[in-house]
Amino acid sequence: MAKYAVTKSIDVRGEVCPVPDVETKRALKKMKAGEILEVWIDYAMSKERIPEAVKNLGHEILEIEETGTSEWKIYIKVK
Amino acid sequence: MAWTGLLVGVVFGIILQRGRVCFNSAFRDILLFKDNYLWKLGFLAVGLQAITVLFVAQMGWIRIAPPTLNFFGNIVGAYVFGLGMVLAGGCASGVTYRAGEGMTTAMFGAVFYGLGALAMRGGVFSGIRTWAAGFNITVAGNSPVYFDKVGPTLATIFNINPWIPAAIVAALLLWYTLGTKTTDRPTKFNWKMAAIALAILSPIAWITSEAAGRNYGFGITGGWISIFDTFISNQPLRWDGYEIIGIILGALIASLLAKEFKLRMPKNPKTYLQVMVGGIMMGAGANLAGGCNIGHFLAGLPTLAISSIVASIFLILGNWTMAYILYRK
Repeated sequence: MAKYAVTKSIDVRGEVCPVPDVETKRALKKMKAGEILEVWIDYAMSKERIPEAVKNLGHEILEIEETGTSEWKIYIKVK
Repeated sequence: MAWTGLLVGVVFGIILQRGRVCFNSAFRDILLFKDNYLWKLGFLAVGLQAITVLFVAQMGWIRIAPPTLNFFGNIVGAYVFGLGMVLAGGCASGVTYRAGEGMTTAMFGAVFYGLGALAMRGGVFSGIRTWAAGFNITVAGNSPVYFDKVGPTLATIFNINPWIPAAIVAALLLWYTLGTKTTDRPTKFNWKMAAIALAILSPIAWITSEAAGRNYGFGITGGWISIFDTFISNQPLRWDGYEIIGIILGALIASLLAKEFKLRMPKNPKTYLQVMVGGIMMGAGANLAGGCNIGHFLAGLPTLAISSIVASIFLILGNWTMAYILYRK
């Protein structure tokens, strides 16, 4: 079922801008190297902005999976 | 002719939705995420419009009406607007086009934005506005491109041809936006295309709006007021009221076609309270300031009005203050 051994999952669907970005950053800060964060979003702009911000922080984007109409899961590997 | 606002609005809404043109994000991302993607979109659109809007005025198709200078209104109003837009999760144009994308918080934010603006225009907050109006500063337009009485601009202050400051500002902004590094973002309709599209649509907005008797370009605050005037007092819908309906329709169509439309709802109901308070602050602030992020930043800055320069600085500072309080950690 689960594609990745997800350590932590956050569901930020429906949240106002920039809560998804900020919650992603906050979650990553508390995680250890090698762990995987799953971020569940439903806003197209977040899909474009969060991966860039995460890469700038030095982490790896494993996949952006489309899970429904305007819904995505971003899998991030903490470095 | 007021209906032409609908056509301009639809195109405006499509550009805002496809380009993700959110000024709340533009101002905030550069502070919080060191991301200058939308920031540059905004300033490139301003630089290009300094030329395109002046060009249609030079041709005699419009006369430019730089907003009235009022230090109290431009500073305090814009700062309150800036604080409010972070709470509301979007600027004036942001909550408007996001309402069309199905974001329910934006619908609440937009309606309370209109209510806040009405309250400042003639309601409970109007005492502040009446008092502040005593500090209004207008000057004689020093060029045929301007109306006879205008808010001071860089050109009127130095009593020079408006093309001189417009060319300098456009050159500086083009050099900054195109000549320095921009944050990547995988979008189909990128920031340069969006800025160019806005700079082409903007003079069309000025021309059609002036033909309908409203002497200004893009605007949001007055449009929401017009919608309420029609809805509550049965007044004819004005150009900018049509423009607002157009923006919502344009964003709706664009998001449906891109499969990005969805009725979205946050899990914590407190978010609704936050956007309502933010919306009231934005509306009241914008009406006091004589414009929002569109009226002052997108449409006002290209006229090089001092009021728009002051208001833009303070709406950015308000945005940074609230973004720092809520999201710095």
